[in-house]
Amino acid sequence: MSVLPGGDILLDFRVDNLWVLQIGGVEIWITRTIFNTWIIMLVLIVLALFLRFKLRRFEEIPRGLQNAMEAVVEIFDGFLRNSGGEKLMPLGKWFFAVFAFIFVSNISGVVGLRPPTADWATTFALALATFILIQVMGIKYRKTGYVKSFFEPLFIFFPLNLIGELARPVSLSFRLFGNILAGTILMALVYQLAPIIFQFGIPAVLHAYFDLFMGALQTYIFCVLSIMFIKGATE
Amino acid sequence: MNFKIALLSGLVPEGRVFGLDQQTLISIGIQLLNVCILAAALGFILYKPVQEFLRRRTDKISSQLKEAQEKMDQAEKLKAEYEKKLQEIDSERIKILESARLAAAERSRHIIEEARWEATEIRRRAHENIIAERERLKEETRLHIIEIASLLAGKFIEHAIDREAQDRLFDEAMAQLEETAWLN
Repeated sequence: MSVLPGGDILLDFRVDNLWVLQIGGVEIWITRTIFNTWIIMLVLIVLALFLRFKLRRFEEIPRGLQNAMEAVVEIFDGFLRNSGGEKLMPLGKWFFAVFAFIFVSNISGVVGLRPPTADWATTFALALATFILIQVMGIKYRKTGYVKSFFEPLFIFFPLNLIGELARPVSLSFRLFGNILAGTILMALVYQLAPIIFQFGIPAVLHAYFDLFMGALQTYIFCVLSIMFIKGATE
Repeated sequence: MNFKIALLSGLVPEGRVFGLDQQTLISIGIQLLNVCILAAALGFILYKPVQEFLRRRTDKISSQLKEAQEKMDQAEKLKAEYEKKLQEIDSERIKILESARLAAAERSRHIIEEARWEATEIRRRAHENIIAERERLKEETRLHIIEIASLLAGKFIEHAIDREAQDRLFDEAMAQLEETAWLN
């Protein structure tokens, strides 16, 4: 929040640029989103290493952490198997990572980070990955049938089908981006504009709703839609 | 290669909420790379080992179940064989018992017959012995009676009759005795 010379308050929701790299004459902005993404990646990788260390030797009869990890892996594998059979099974690792990343990103506002998913670059990167997977899986399992599907039911429908296909990553990315950015803006408004008396207790409830509940819901929606799109392309 | 990092705030452009330009494309590329790296790391460190372990355990349990089923089938087969053998043994036992019973009955009949024959023989021999004993006793009694009678007669005659009468009675008795012995 900044105070302008006239006394007006400037609410700042922008994605800051932290550094600018120049590589081969190309300027690369290292934004707060990228920096926060690295922090989240580091947290997730350290957590994964910690869990792996704790689960050095898997027990035949699982207990505690192993139970939890097995449950998580089985949920992802089971969901993919139930959705698209064995064809989607190799995507378990990808969706596990995407789910973990989006969820932790969405709830990172709780600890004061600007969620990377409140930046369209992040959500579009994730949606672009889904789009690439849709095309790869469609061609892998349906070969020319997948390409032909763009010309169905008639050849003249090709532009509509193409736009519909291209709209998928856009809609996926903007859905996630819009929801998380809205939460971020609302929380910023509460913190910066609400009287001090409303700064106790109420933000916790709002965090629970906008960060935790909406964060989890949007993570689920993004992953389920991605899986459904990929499944649709393989059938 | 020209590589420079600008850290001074004056050189760093101001942030923005949304934009569609080259920097957005670069950010998208970096974020895509970041997510790919994260997916590879999480997959390698955590997801794949757990998945691999679960797969191995599933395979192990499947093989154990299969093995148990095979053993169960084998056990069922053995059980059927044993039951069949038990039935055969049972029928064999019945046959053996029947033949043993028949043999025993035959033997029993034979023993009874022998026993009867022996009993008859013993009875016959006993009867003969009794008869012989009776004859012997009769003879002994008769001889005793004769002896006593002779003795009594001798005593009586000694006191009652004279020498002549004695001789005459002796002769008559001898004659009578001879006649009786001859008749027997």
